[in-house]
This record gives sequence, structure tokens and C-alpha cells, in this order.
Amino acid sequence: MSARGKALVTGASAGLGRAMAERLAAAGYAVTGIDRDDPGADAGHAHWPCDLADRQAVDALAEPLAEAGPFDWVVFNAGISATGAFEAIPAEAHARLLAVNAEAPMVLCARLAAAGALGRGGRLVFVSSLSHFTGYPGAASYGASKDAIAVYAGSIRKPFARTLGVSVSVACPGPLRTDHAARHAPTGADASRRMAPDEAARRILAAAGRGGATITPGAAATVFALAGRIAPGPVTALMKRLIHDRLDGPVF
Amino acid sequence: MAGAPRRIVITGGTSGIGLELVRRLAPRHAVLVAGRRTDGDALPVLPDGVRYVRAPLTDPEGATRAIAEAVLKAGWTKLDNLILNAGTGFAVEDGIETAGQVRDTLDVNLASSVLLARALFPWLEKANGTLTLVGSVVHRGQGLFPAYAASKAGLDGFVRALRAEWAGRVAAQVVHPGPTRTEMHAKAGHDPGPLRAVFVPAGAMAAMLEGAIAGRRSPVTISFGRYWAGGALWSARL
Repeated sequence: MSARGKALVTGASAGLGRAMAERLAAAGYAVTGIDRDDPGADAGHAHWPCDLADRQAVDALAEPLAEAGPFDWVVFNAGISATGAFEAIPAEAHARLLAVNAEAPMVLCARLAAAGALGRGGRLVFVSSLSHFTGYPGAASYGASKDAIAVYAGSIRKPFARTLGVSVSVACPGPLRTDHAARHAPTGADASRRMAPDEAARRILAAAGRGGATITPGAAATVFALAGRIAPGPVTALMKRLIHDRLDGPVF
Repeated sequence: MAGAPRRIVITGGTSGIGLELVRRLAPRHAVLVAGRRTDGDALPVLPDGVRYVRAPLTDPEGATRAIAEAVLKAGWTKLDNLILNAGTGFAVEDGIETAGQVRDTLDVNLASSVLLARALFPWLEKANGTLTLVGSVVHRGQGLFPAYAASKAGLDGFVRALRAEWAGRVAAQVVHPGPTRTEMHAKAGHDPGPLRAVFVPAGAMAAMLEGAIAGRRSPVTISFGRYWAGGALWSARL
């Protein structure tokens, strides 16, 4: 093995996670991918199956994962959504979403840090969402989970830099051209206007490599984040008209 | 001016800000308190006439079921206020929590709030009621208790979406109190030291929280500055 180092990506089988895993592998890292779904035979990374909504499975994963480290790159990317009127989505779907999007990355991050599995000088990336800068009517629990993970990343940034020598970033991508986005977007939404996952992966990894705290990949995302910061009310109202009011029914 | 009698559910009402709020509301309103303690421990603390249900929020599904059943048992067909005030957190070194600390914090502060809001929505809608989530000024980040800050940020993001979704039916709001003189810091394993002198007394914080609930706006931040400016004296009553 002449690998440049080790990388870990959750949700690596498809979409943005797959694109980041491929880029890290191409850069010479030995990549471990965590996912519930099989990535297929053409994946360039080692696939570790795990349902991140399952506490026992996450606990069982943490120790062997720490032993497989230390990692130079850790990307907590895995996420699921639940769209529709909040009260029309089953309680189980909300609970599952919070477990996968917020609890699992925080638990795994803390376990890896405690076990010394985060390499000094390494990069730790949490994938949040552009919704962090606005409200996301039609995906209330998803918006909650993405705010939680963004603020978790911001909270550990200083202590992790000080004591572990690890740089923590949070990425807030806007809509991407992935199967996940297509499933949860309103009918008739124009997929060609979403960013290609590989382009988002390139921008996120480059910015995290430079030690950026908050990454909004692309000019459109940056402008939207700024608008959300300046006028959260009107931007959330716009989100409601563009997304919530156009959803056909719950998707979870 | 205090309004007509209301039906109010409040979590974490047996200590701290929650208990002070219950003491303010109980004389004029029908109050159901949910808490972690046994009936034997909780009832002596609570004012007369207040209903109590034991519902530890470390089990969000079980607690939601218990609270919904208690509302039914009380014979309430609508709910004017759901006040999700219970909270927990752990102070840690170097930003590294245990898995159990992360899970308890997220379950009590975030997952329970999401499930309770969903389960009690039909009652709230009938009363054109108010859902109040008690956040924290650390919702923008805090290295001393990362999961706690994250859970409170989650509440803020949750309400930003829900307030727009429920507009005209139920007022969803998040209120972020500043540091308050309760037992919470000791329970979390943190000694604020001399800083405690500038913490707002729990009774005054409860008065300002009541004012924020009556105002139905969101988000509301209740800082030491507001207390110092007399905020607890001129706060509206429910």
C-alpha cells in the first residue's frame, strides 16, 4: 500500500458522498465508505455497511472504525430527508431522520476523537445544508437536523483545533443533481439548475483543505446564504412558496 | 392584563424556570406538567390543582405517548399552549462527549420536541394555540457543551420551518433564554464561578418567558440586559 493517507466518508455509496469518496481516492487516499446501500462493483473505496439510524449498529461500528484509523479526512455526509407537511410525516420518519442526520455523526465524531482516530493535521467535514441560513418549510425536521449538525461543527472547531490539531469545517450545499434531491423536490422542479455533485465535492474538499469554517459551494449558494442572513423572514417565505406549497404529499 | 383561563402543557415543570413558570400560571390556568420525577417526588413541589404526568424525555416515543394519554385523560379537547421547556446537557472537556451524553441531550432537547409538537398539533390547532420551544442563547455554538448547543440550534431551525408551515393555525415560536440561576449548570457538571452573579434569577426569567409566550413572536432572545432594564416587571401575562 502506497496510500497517501486514510479517509472516511459516510453516505459514500451515492450522490455527494460518492463524489467526495471518488475525489479522495483519486488524490491517493485509502477511502473507507459507510453506507446502508451497496456502492456497486465499480466503487473505488472499501464499503462498510451500516444503517446509521440503528444505535446498536453505530455502536458496533465505532470501535473497528477507530482501529482502522487514524484518518486524515473524515467526512460526515450521510443524510436522509422527509418532506411534506410536518404533521403528515410519520413520527418514526422524523425520529429516523434525526438519528441519521444529527445523532450518528455526533456520536461517531466523539467516539473517533476519544479513541485518537482523528489524525493530527487532519480535516473533519460535516455536511449540513443551505437551509441552515433560512427556514425550510416542508422539511422541518430535516432543517432542524442540519442546523444541529452545523452548530455542533462550529462548537467543536476551537477545542478540536487546540487539542487534536484537527480542522473542522461545515459544508452547506444548495440543491444538488442527485437522486436524493429528485425524490424530495417539488414536481416540475428543474434539475438542470442544481449543482452537479462532483462540482460540489470539488469545492467542499478544496475549501476544507484550506481550513474554511463554513463552506457554501458555488456563487448561488453564497448569495442565498447571505440573503438568508440579512432577511431570514422573507427568504423563508420564499422557500415556502417555492417548495412547501408545491409538494404533492409526504415523501420519507 | 391576564387573559381567559387556558389549557397548558409544560415539560420540565418541576424545577428551574419551568417550575417558576408553573407557579405563575397555575392560579389562573389549567396546567399539566410533564417531568422525569415520580409522582411522589413531583406532586409535593407543584402548586395545588396542577396535573402531573411522569414522562422521561430520554425516551421520546414513550414520553410522547404518556403525555398524549394524560391530555386525553384530563378530558381536554384542545390545547392553548404547549411549552417545551425541559432540557438537559453535559459540560465536557475538549468538546468530546460520550455517546450516551450525545443521545440523552438530543433525545430530551430535540427529538422529544419534534415528536410532541407533531402528536399535540391537532389539540393546538383547535385552539389556534401556541407552541413554545425553550432554546438557549448558546444555539449559535459553544465548545463547552457541543451537543447541547447543537440541540438548541436544531430547535431554532425546526421553528423557522414550522412557523411558516403552521402560519394562521398554530403560532410556533422559539425563545432563547440567557444564563439563569437554576440547578442546570450544576447538573451539567459546570461551575460558572463568579459569573453566576450576572445570571438572571429563575423567577424573573419565568416572568419574561411568560411575556414572550403571550407575544407569540419568534425568535425571542431574553438576555441579562432585558432583565436589567426591568423586563421582568413589564412582561405581559398569559
